[in-house]
Amino acid sequence: MLKTVFEIAQAVQSGTTTATQVVKDSLQKIKELNPQINAFIEVWEEEALARAADIDARRERGEKLGALAGVPVGIKDNILYKGHKATCCSKMLENYVAPYNSTVVEKLLAADAVLIGRTNMDEFAMGSSNQTSVYGPAHNPVNFDRVPGGSSGGSAAAVAAEMVPAALGTDTGGSVRQPAAFCGVVGIKPGYGRISRYGIVAFSSGADQVGVVASDVKGAALLMEVLCGRDVNDSTSLPDEVPAFSQNFTENIQGLKVGMPKGFLDNLGEEVKNKILAAADKLKSLGAELIEIDVPHAKYSAPCYYIITSAEASSNLARFDGIRYGYCDKKATNLNDYYELSRAPFGPEVKKRIIIGATALKAENYAECYLQALKVRELIKQDFAKAFEQVDVILTPTSPTTAFGLGAHKDNPLAVYLADLYTCQGNIGGLAGISVPCGEDKEGLPVGLQFYGPILQEEKILNAAYHFEKAL
Amino acid sequence: MILEKDNVSKCAAMTKIRLNAGEAEMYENELKDLFRWVEELSKVDTSAVPETSIGHAAYLRPDEPVVNEKLADTLVGEFNEQQGHCAKVKKVL
Repeated sequence: MLKTVFEIAQAVQSGTTTATQVVKDSLQKIKELNPQINAFIEVWEEEALARAADIDARRERGEKLGALAGVPVGIKDNILYKGHKATCCSKMLENYVAPYNSTVVEKLLAADAVLIGRTNMDEFAMGSSNQTSVYGPAHNPVNFDRVPGGSSGGSAAAVAAEMVPAALGTDTGGSVRQPAAFCGVVGIKPGYGRISRYGIVAFSSGADQVGVVASDVKGAALLMEVLCGRDVNDSTSLPDEVPAFSQNFTENIQGLKVGMPKGFLDNLGEEVKNKILAAADKLKSLGAELIEIDVPHAKYSAPCYYIITSAEASSNLARFDGIRYGYCDKKATNLNDYYELSRAPFGPEVKKRIIIGATALKAENYAECYLQALKVRELIKQDFAKAFEQVDVILTPTSPTTAFGLGAHKDNPLAVYLADLYTCQGNIGGLAGISVPCGEDKEGLPVGLQFYGPILQEEKILNAAYHFEKAL
Repeated sequence: MILEKDNVSKCAAMTKIRLNAGEAEMYENELKDLFRWVEELSKVDTSAVPETSIGHAAYLRPDEPVVNEKLADTLVGEFNEQQGHCAKVKKVL
């Protein structure tokens, strides 16, 4: 069975296999494993087979196929695909059918990928464990009693279980990179504005980005190549040229300057710490130069993140009022009841974030809370900009721990929020970040290594991750 | 202290989230811990940061008008009942 995006695309393009065979293999794997893992919440079997047959027929007619010919791809449940449900794993949107295609879906289809189904996620992408999904949690394929991470837990679990070689997620505070680390696969979040968000259900407009989970770095690079670029439908998308990421890997990383933030390993568990130090040694043996850098305000990223994103969420989710979007209550007899009963299907985490956001935006709290968070964010950005004058990439763990148990931290939500410590720096700073596996703890659970790069320089982190992956 | 005693109920009402007494208490406890943590931000000296900053990662570009002539037809086409470019919306109450 072919396992990587590249292997599949090349084999389908050259005719050494068919898209139909690849899709059948993928569907078989889903049938075998999805009942235990719950990575996919809906599989479009007939449609995927029909599309694969069409790709094969076009190849037989001598037509040139796209860069992702026959590659089965899962999409997170907050990405719109015309005529298909997109529920954000929430009761609020349980019957919502997308009336148009998101730009990322258009691009995947134009590249001849085969969309296999919707992947599980934390409700409205709010969570780091996939446990807030209305469809029940996804399970980590490495150990079914552990979480796959979140919020794109289903996408990472689907790739780790080899159901698909790649899946799309969204990353607002680490939601692609952290589950990729927990499941032992590759996850990349490009810099803010690189991939269009047209047709993505908004959580926090200042931080949301579409990202890619893939079985290897080269596959992630190829998907990035297909997905990045300016879109007139998204005014935040950047017009800059998209490099041929998958073709631009260098011969080696001799002389690559890798920044290691001062104190960034403090308070880490021994096992994760040792893996990160071993990874740094490996990079050094490959010719990289390790340089200590100072990003003094980065430690404030997590509280900053929770204030800013919750404030934006409370505003973005106001549209789910039973009139514009979402569930409509039929029993209300006055307008206030109508709004409140129509918003009742939100789950507890979503309600909490809306209340946090509203608290931060209240006139009496605004300056002390929201405005202060925005100002600290600016200092964090300045720290990183200064650091990137000295180094090419920055190295951190992706997560302070390996995958925790299902149900853990139930009574301590702050512990779950702190799991985003290393990843939310990227969203707050607008950076590009990639997580790549760097080993396992003694229970066999994957540890993820993260590279950060400046905005519009995703090539650097892809290159560092590619050479690290090859050497491991 | 950012979180006053009745803050959760007030903010929930403001955002049209209906909470029962048990939920209000649960959120209040959770939010107290969270805002205690958030108060760490007040230790940071931000006096030199302007209130509106375009930031290092911000991007300036000329505004481009986007014209999509089919958009109106597409949007109106989504409604069950329509007349020309007018669409009938559902009754709320």
